[in-house]
Amino acid sequence: MNPIDPITDDELILFRYRDGLDAARLADIERELSNSPALRERNAAIERTLARVDAQPVPQADADLGARLWKRLEPRLAQAGVAARRASWSDRLHSLIESMRPQRLAWSAAFALVAAVGIGFYAGRQSAPPPDATANADAMALRVLDAYVAAHLRATEGVLVTASNSGSGALLDGNRELAASLVESNRLYALAAARAGNARLADFLRQLEPVLMSLANQSDGGAVQSSEGLRDYLHATDLLFQVRATEARLDRSGDRRT
Amino acid sequence: MLDDQARWVAKAKTGDTLAFRRLVEMNTSALFRTCVRVTGDKAIAEDAMQEAFFNAFRHLSDFDERAQFSTWLHRIAVNAALEQMRRRHRVEEALPEVENEDTFFSVTTESAPGPDRHANSAQIRRDVEAQLSRMTVLERSAFVLRHHEGQSLEDISALLSLNISACKQAIFRAVRKLRLALEPPG
Repeated sequence: MNPIDPITDDELILFRYRDGLDAARLADIERELSNSPALRERNAAIERTLARVDAQPVPQADADLGARLWKRLEPRLAQAGVAARRASWSDRLHSLIESMRPQRLAWSAAFALVAAVGIGFYAGRQSAPPPDATANADAMALRVLDAYVAAHLRATEGVLVTASNSGSGALLDGNRELAASLVESNRLYALAAARAGNARLADFLRQLEPVLMSLANQSDGGAVQSSEGLRDYLHATDLLFQVRATEARLDRSGDRRT
Repeated sequence: MLDDQARWVAKAKTGDTLAFRRLVEMNTSALFRTCVRVTGDKAIAEDAMQEAFFNAFRHLSDFDERAQFSTWLHRIAVNAALEQMRRRHRVEEALPEVENEDTFFSVTTESAPGPDRHANSAQIRRDVEAQLSRMTVLERSAFVLRHHEGQSLEDISALLSLNISACKQAIFRAVRKLRLALEPPG
């Protein structure tokens, strides 16, 4: 039998855990332990130490720890959940916008038509009538636009509220159709607002477009989850509030112009 | 119990915070033991648990359900405990140079307790606590993970970002310190 390398205490520690030693060295130690009383005593000392560690009192959590942890955790988890859902909504809107790009080309023809009509209207108006008549016509045109956009925003508000609060499939079906019908008019109003020099309103309406498109394309599956996501999105972006505020502002400015 | 955890994990993965609360309740005691052993401080352990549960919730979708949730959670908790210690500047940048056993004992024998000090268990507990507090965080973590958590040297090395040899040395030094506290020099 070949003599084996001396066995160190460190190796006895690894032997105790049966980890970090190859099979041959484990076998050497095992054999030596049965042959050598001195090694057995060294090994027993290590075992005693570790047994005493095991005999130490186990750290005990106090009875309130779980409740205390949860109290601090709950708001953080809610916030994390909202952030995740908000991200998923933003992703959906973003991908939808990306997917609509080819169609934008087709719609641009419609925009061009509206623009041509608008330019013709303004050009024709500016050529003949006296200044007072032009001013009255401008005010009238803006009032009409405000009234139409306010009505459009009321319908949009209804769609958003229904989509975020309703779990009814039938109601959501109707809501999808309504959202689809609002997409195009939303775009035309945005264009009209831009033509009338109301960049703020035009920007706001453009901001609504992807939301309406997303609602128009909302699938049946996961409607409840979508509603929750929309609620979070609306809450995070204050979109519903902005819709209502813009609607009220348009109503007021319409009244002033009358 | 484990099947039960798997059920709650599946629910929690859908964003169900009540299901996650069940998981918190089921794992609080075990996680607390681990975190206290690693940090040596109940308040720090509680902060570590807070972070561990929060991180677990955020990364729940990454959890592979073929593994055990409690094992995954413990790994996160040990990392969180080490992070808490780092924030409090209690983690050493590197392990001290390896000393040979003889040197170690010659340096520390002066503070080793005599047989009379081991007369009662309360004194033993105080000696163990004193030695545990003298361990570096890495020594204590490596020892806790190997001895109490039953993790392999390979896993511990990965968790503590050490090579296997440094990981072994950390455990050896921890056991030597404990022997000093518990075994009166002969």
